[in-house]
Amino acid sequence: MSKKWHISRRRMLKGLGACIALPFLEAMVPPGLSAYSLSKRPVRFACLFMPNGVHPDLWTPAQFGTDFELSPILQPLGAFKKDVLILNELTNLGANFPGSDGHYAKTANFLTCLPIYKTTGDNLDSGGISLDQIIAQHRGQETLHASLEYGLERINSGIDANVGFTRLYGSNISWKSPSQPCSKEIDPRLAFDRLFRDYVPGAAQRQESPWKQSVLDVVLEDAKVLQRQLGRSDQDKLEEYLESIRSIEKRIDNEEKKKAFEQHITPEIQKELTHLNMRIDEFSELHIGIDITEKTRQMLDIMALAFWSDATRVCTFMFGNSVSNRNFSFLEGVQGSHHQISHHSNDLGQLEQYKIINQWHVSQYAYFLEKLKAIPEGEGNLLDQSMIMFGSGLRDGNRHSPHNLPILLGGKGGGALKTGQNLQFAQDTPLSNFYLSLIRILDIPMECFADSNGELCEIYA
Amino acid sequence: MAKLFKLLSLLLPCFFTLVYAQEPALDFVEDIRPVLDQHCFGCHNVGKVAGGINLERYESEGHMVEDGHIWLQAVKQLQSGQMPPDSEPPLSPEEKELLVKGINDILVKSLKENNPGRVVIRRLNHTEYHYTVLDLLGVDFDAAAYFPSDGSGGAGFDNYAQTLFVTPLKFERYYDAAEIILQQVYEQPELWRKLVPHSYQTSWWQRFLSWITHVFSNETADETPVTEAEAVIFPFASKAYRRFLKPAEKEAFRQLFRKVYAGATAANRFDAAILEIFRAILVSPHFLYRIEEEQPVDYPYPLSNFELASRLSYFLWSSLPDQALFEAAYRENLHDSLVLSREVRRMLQDPRAKRFSESFATQWFGVSRLKEDSPVDPERFPEFTPSLRQAMYQELVEYFHYTLTQSHHFLDLIDSDYTFLNEELARHYGIPDVIGDRMRKVTLQDRTRGGVLGMGSVLVSTSLPLRTSPVLRGKWVLEEILGTPPPPPPPDAGVLPEEQADKENAPLRDLLALHRASPDCMSCHQKMDPIGLGMENYDAIGRWREAYGEDPIIAWDTLASGEVFNGPVELKQILLTKEENFARILSEKIFTYAIGRSVEFVDEPTMQRMVKTLLENDFHTEQLILALVNSYPFRYKVNDFDQKLKL
Repeated sequence: MSKKWHISRRRMLKGLGACIALPFLEAMVPPGLSAYSLSKRPVRFACLFMPNGVHPDLWTPAQFGTDFELSPILQPLGAFKKDVLILNELTNLGANFPGSDGHYAKTANFLTCLPIYKTTGDNLDSGGISLDQIIAQHRGQETLHASLEYGLERINSGIDANVGFTRLYGSNISWKSPSQPCSKEIDPRLAFDRLFRDYVPGAAQRQESPWKQSVLDVVLEDAKVLQRQLGRSDQDKLEEYLESIRSIEKRIDNEEKKKAFEQHITPEIQKELTHLNMRIDEFSELHIGIDITEKTRQMLDIMALAFWSDATRVCTFMFGNSVSNRNFSFLEGVQGSHHQISHHSNDLGQLEQYKIINQWHVSQYAYFLEKLKAIPEGEGNLLDQSMIMFGSGLRDGNRHSPHNLPILLGGKGGGALKTGQNLQFAQDTPLSNFYLSLIRILDIPMECFADSNGELCEIYA
Repeated sequence: MAKLFKLLSLLLPCFFTLVYAQEPALDFVEDIRPVLDQHCFGCHNVGKVAGGINLERYESEGHMVEDGHIWLQAVKQLQSGQMPPDSEPPLSPEEKELLVKGINDILVKSLKENNPGRVVIRRLNHTEYHYTVLDLLGVDFDAAAYFPSDGSGGAGFDNYAQTLFVTPLKFERYYDAAEIILQQVYEQPELWRKLVPHSYQTSWWQRFLSWITHVFSNETADETPVTEAEAVIFPFASKAYRRFLKPAEKEAFRQLFRKVYAGATAANRFDAAILEIFRAILVSPHFLYRIEEEQPVDYPYPLSNFELASRLSYFLWSSLPDQALFEAAYRENLHDSLVLSREVRRMLQDPRAKRFSESFATQWFGVSRLKEDSPVDPERFPEFTPSLRQAMYQELVEYFHYTLTQSHHFLDLIDSDYTFLNEELARHYGIPDVIGDRMRKVTLQDRTRGGVLGMGSVLVSTSLPLRTSPVLRGKWVLEEILGTPPPPPPPDAGVLPEEQADKENAPLRDLLALHRASPDCMSCHQKMDPIGLGMENYDAIGRWREAYGEDPIIAWDTLASGEVFNGPVELKQILLTKEENFARILSEKIFTYAIGRSVEFVDEPTMQRMVKTLLENDFHTEQLILALVNSYPFRYKVNDFDQKLKL
């Protein structure tokens, strides 16, 4: 069967590649206006990943449709009931394969929806490129950073000999290619400085060497010569290095993007930057305890600012790595660590604590939504221009089940989403159908995503 | 790995009977591949990869042997008639025999030959980067905090080639790190003058003259600064790249120097230009990766002397070769076992060898996390202070290092009459008369400590934040000491609730009895639980206890293998009798750490040689390391069989 293609002018231009499209647009723009301000307001995408699943009975609201009461875990979303979608019965079918026991096979592929390769290190394979990276490839090329990957924990060291996976799989949801995880930034100071240091009024600015380009050219040439001499797997390994240099050179070169970004740093943003910068400083000095709320919020604030300033349009955030045993005793009513409590054995006391930990995660999500909603953009706000996903790769952590995953989507996606619904899909609807729907909204030319067999039409406005 | 080993021991006898039936060997390409093409490639090809197996990609015998374990499986499936499946045309008896015999013969032959296996180029991990920068420039740079973290692979070490990536973010940080590091060097004259003994300077008059000459004549610019710069750059680059420079590389440095020198105006432009070149060196792939070049031959070949020197130095020092090793690589033959042994002995006696002890031991025994943070609940155990945590971490490092370099006896890791303590840790263990913060060797009165099983670091790392976990401890012994990991738990297995531990008198033994009562759980838990319960005298932060509150601790138990024991002291004695298991896991761990890849099919002969060395030499540490560095996989390399990229 053939499908008739309607190709918009915009998409066609994009298809030709940004390098052609941009100068063309620039030429068409009347003097005094940048091409940027003319284009449609971009839709931002973020995915917040929570490890270790949810209390299975306290997640889904009892009523479906637009008229529903928030469930106990979702209570923190009170103010945003009209801004979110609660999606039920989505299943990551790719996470169900022989040997997929435990967490790893349900984390690395949370955004790829395909089976991962079982290995303690050789031939890593996440099944595919993750959703965020696909979006970044198609919709992230106009910004300074195609995507950002944040988290709170280092990659877990070691391997899990028990289930035969490297823990690296449990520490990454963003995959640039099936064999290459993206690096995760976990330090607010470093994350902030990377994006904004030069724009904080009064802060010491970086003195970028005027020879950076020349130095990188020499090194790049070196690497190219070297690559020719190596064997195949070494060549592949070095390709990561070459790609990394090229992507940085592209950024240095692109004065236009830099200018566009600088123009976005308004006095309001600068005020926020100064404030956040101080908070991070204070935090680094004071922080000793186990409470990670402030650190989490700082990372989320950086993300909000990155969206606001259009430093990027795509971001992932991992509250923790899979099997994270973070000590949540800083929460009232919790005495113990995350993974351990998630294996509640249906003990009521454990389940109660599990609920509190889940609620804490949803609260942080609500905090992020609130931030975005407070930022005006166009006639609406930044949240309206965003699609902010929240989810876990497991339903009940006690059972390690990838069925009926807890998935939320916040924001109106630039008007494409009908939020304020609690939706019940058919049992074991592929999670990839959801991702395909997001891809459609973003107007990315893809026919299917992983094992998708349809779209979630109910979420469209 | 243990599984493969078992499989091998099952299949090897039948291999050998086959191989002795003297017939001309079948050729993989000529004889075997056509049959595979006809019967197997239909499903197991590049596009279809049924069962995750792609057989079509193996185009030569060498490539096939590289993934010998896959072919071992294939033979098994063929022999049992599981493959080809009923839905496909069957093999004729002749075809079946040809495949089974042909593949078997090749695999057996490969085990008799020396095959070094392949490791991809290894990026310096953050520890190695830190020490390399320290030894090269004298700057103590906290790489682990500054760079995005890496994962681990193989046997669980963070120097595993395949899990070390470079991403744009990482590269950005490498560039910025180079700037930070070089800035520090430049600001400290004693460091800078070591690299640049004197900076070439010109008076304004000379500069004026050279400008005049440049403007009014066709003579090329004054080359003196370039010559001066070479004297600084080339030795530095050579040290950083861990080999001599190639002419093209020298030329590239000259050009970059001329460009920056001519473009810069400040009086210190010589230094400025040198700094830019140093920066290029610190982000070069030749610095960041340990590169081993390919030779145009299709058989295994020895690594170059410099490459071998780097393997040695990163193995034992987590850093680049020092002057003496570099000289030895240049003037002597490092492949000569006398030279190699001499260097290994020298390196082990060097203080830098402690880097190996730290990195290897803390990762093997799973306590590396303690260096940075605490897995213990601070409210429940306020006595678990950061300094105590550090002392525990250090105990293992010092202990392993002493074992490695002084007692020379790897079985000390299981049991001995000494350990390393400072005052705080000694008090924690209830050992008197240790005064001061310094860690020192202490002779023990009893055997409740001495050996990794009684170390606070291990006991804390195998506990939960609020209580002990006999299951985790048992699993840890099975995995790290015996090398026999239990299979994964069933999907809906629960975990004992933390809450029970709220009561000081939690009857863990009664709770765990449930495990052994249920048939689903029993098979694995009867292996794990007795070991862990036998270690219950250590609490969640490693203190000795005789009772849970009022209830005395019963540490009597029977191992799955039948031995009866009471408490950790007797448990250690039983573990000492399982020396073959320990020799095997030790060999696998150290091999993976040193070479940066997993133990593969082709390494079986090396593994067996290492195990034998341990058993025959009373677990002598140096003997094992010498056996490893003299082995084929450590010293040799074979080219990649996959098609090269067209560049």
